Amino acid sequence: MDIMLAVLALLGLIGYVTLFLGTAEPRHRYGKQFLAIFAFTLIVMVIVGLFVQWPIEFAWQKVNAFYAMFGFAAFTFLIYAAKGLRLLLVKKEDYYEEKGV
Amino acid sequence: MMSWLHPGFILIFGALLVPLFKGKWKEAYLILPPVAALIVVILMHTGVFGQIPFSTWHLPFLGYDLVFGKVDNLSFLFGLAFTLALVPVMIYSLHVKSSTEHMSQLIYAGSALGVVFAGDLISLYFFWELMSIASVLVIWHGATEKAHSAGYRYILWHVAGGITLLAGIIMYISATGSITFNAFDWNSDSTFWASMLIFIGFILNAGVPPLHAWLPDAYPESTVTGSVYLSIFTTKSAVYVLARGFAGFSPLIWIGAFMTIYPIFFAVLENNLRRVLSYSIINQVGFMLCGIGMGTALAMNGATSHAFVHIIYKSLLFMSVGSVLFRTRTANITDLGGLFKTMPLTAVFCLVGAASISAFPLLSGFTTKAMVVQSAALGGMGLIFVLLLIAGAGVFEHAGIKVPFFTFFGRDSGLKAKDPPVNMLLGMGIMAFLCIFFGVYPYPLYQILPYSAAAIYNPFTIPHVMETLELLLFAAFAFFILHKTGIYPPERRTITLDTDWPLRVLGGKVIWFAKGPLSTFSTRMDNNMKKIAADFSAFGEEKEERVFIGVSVMLALLFLALYLIVEISYNWIFS
Repeated sequence: MDIMLAVLALLGLIGYVTLFLGTAEPRHRYGKQFLAIFAFTLIVMVIVGLFVQWPIEFAWQKVNAFYAMFGFAAFTFLIYAAKGLRLLLVKKEDYYEEKGV
Repeated sequence: MMSWLHPGFILIFGALLVPLFKGKWKEAYLILPPVAALIVVILMHTGVFGQIPFSTWHLPFLGYDLVFGKVDNLSFLFGLAFTLALVPVMIYSLHVKSSTEHMSQLIYAGSALGVVFAGDLISLYFFWELMSIASVLVIWHGATEKAHSAGYRYILWHVAGGITLLAGIIMYISATGSITFNAFDWNSDSTFWASMLIFIGFILNAGVPPLHAWLPDAYPESTVTGSVYLSIFTTKSAVYVLARGFAGFSPLIWIGAFMTIYPIFFAVLENNLRRVLSYSIINQVGFMLCGIGMGTALAMNGATSHAFVHIIYKSLLFMSVGSVLFRTRTANITDLGGLFKTMPLTAVFCLVGAASISAFPLLSGFTTKAMVVQSAALGGMGLIFVLLLIAGAGVFEHAGIKVPFFTFFGRDSGLKAKDPPVNMLLGMGIMAFLCIFFGVYPYPLYQILPYSAAAIYNPFTIPHVMETLELLLFAAFAFFILHKTGIYPPERRTITLDTDWPLRVLGGKVIWFAKGPLSTFSTRMDNNMKKIAADFSAFGEEKEERVFIGVSVMLALLFLALYLIVEISYNWIFS
């Protein structure tokens, strides 16, 4: 594992934690700065991604920033799908107790 | 050469001695059986008991040769995973006073090791059932009404699975004449149905939907430490038996991929953190089953190594949520938030576990999950590859973001809980260390992987690191946007119906029917029958006059009948 990879990986972890710290309420003293760091990691990932030699197993991997778009889209899809299921499957906390089963 | 000691028996017999100790002595004693079991497993690797593979602890039984100790690379890996995790989990639970709780947990762990080292189907079945019984005791130690009924439903599921497994085993033995536990032959006509019954028994324990409902139902109802034990053994021993018995069984690819997606929606909607993590077990086991279904060396290594690290980070997540439950008495997201200020160490440990399960580079999930995903790409399985990527975003959603964010960050709940006692912190610390260790330096793990160790996998390539980071960070960005705009579903005090809903509602209806209409009907029938019986018995019991009356009436009836027969025959003949 070379230094470049370790730096990228650490940057990813920093992005992950700063998102949490920046989004917590009431807002942290350095909330805005945390979010700025998070945004910085996103930009770095896209820029570095443009220079990566991706292995082409499937045609879609040729698209620039494919995984970034995929991550965003998959996450959004899952949340909307879950919200749809909520109408069908979610019941009050004592649903089974009321039925006595 | 030393003679081998079964690590499972060390735990089971060690458990029986627990009640003899009190106070500090008990704490000192409790750590012994897990450490001894771990030492035995490590000594196995060094060849103290002979070169792996070896087979020992034979026992004659009904003309068969039972093998309790069959050690090869696969069983060694799972044995090591179980015992390595058991030591920190035991440290984490040292503060628990109840002897019976410790006993049931140790016997549960010991029987899982019994499954792992079983060389034949009969001893496999024995330990399989022992594991079910011990685990339901672990659940019942939750000691609430909910824990009691969830445990009852849990054992019903497992009895059903156990009977299916037993039927399959009996059919398999009678068809092949052999009790050895090896890969099953599902292609031959004579053993197809037997293999399928065994398969169903196995996948029920792996938590494959729709046979999974016992898992998110019962695991969150156990004690703080009980859930940690439960998260480790049942599902992963099922992964082990599937890896041994059904490697390359192609339906497992689709079953596994479905399993990675299905629980995500439930985990997104769920309010109880321990239930979120239970759904996340199903998602992670899906990756393993998918790899087992592919059956290539890379995929099998991915499946087994993923099981290995999953045991570590999932128990770390259960431990950190357990610590929050221990201090705040709640694991509901609606009551939690902002705890990172008052429980900083627990928050850090939770983040390590969450980043590991999300497969961030430098943490343990990254070095193993990719082998399965990579196998799908190499096998040209485009749809499976995409499904696994979506599942990767999904696990990041519920285990990587939801659990740490809404517990330790998010909206401040105002709860002022402090970090848990030092033994719990130490247990979590060891687990967190292992997560980072296997994330940064996975090569010791790669070297003990069961399938063609020569081809050592290298996860640290620029494209692999970059695709993971892009995917995860932009999924996090999506969370940020959805959360800020209020689209992200807010937590409510709710439950989510799952595949046990028809069973529970139907079961409830059956019981209502039995208590209501059926018992009214049977009471009436009973009373009427009693009356008729009383009338008949009166013939024999009561006074003679009544007997005479009865006899006279019967004679009169007889003569009447005779007369009618004669009369009708006469008319019929002479008309």
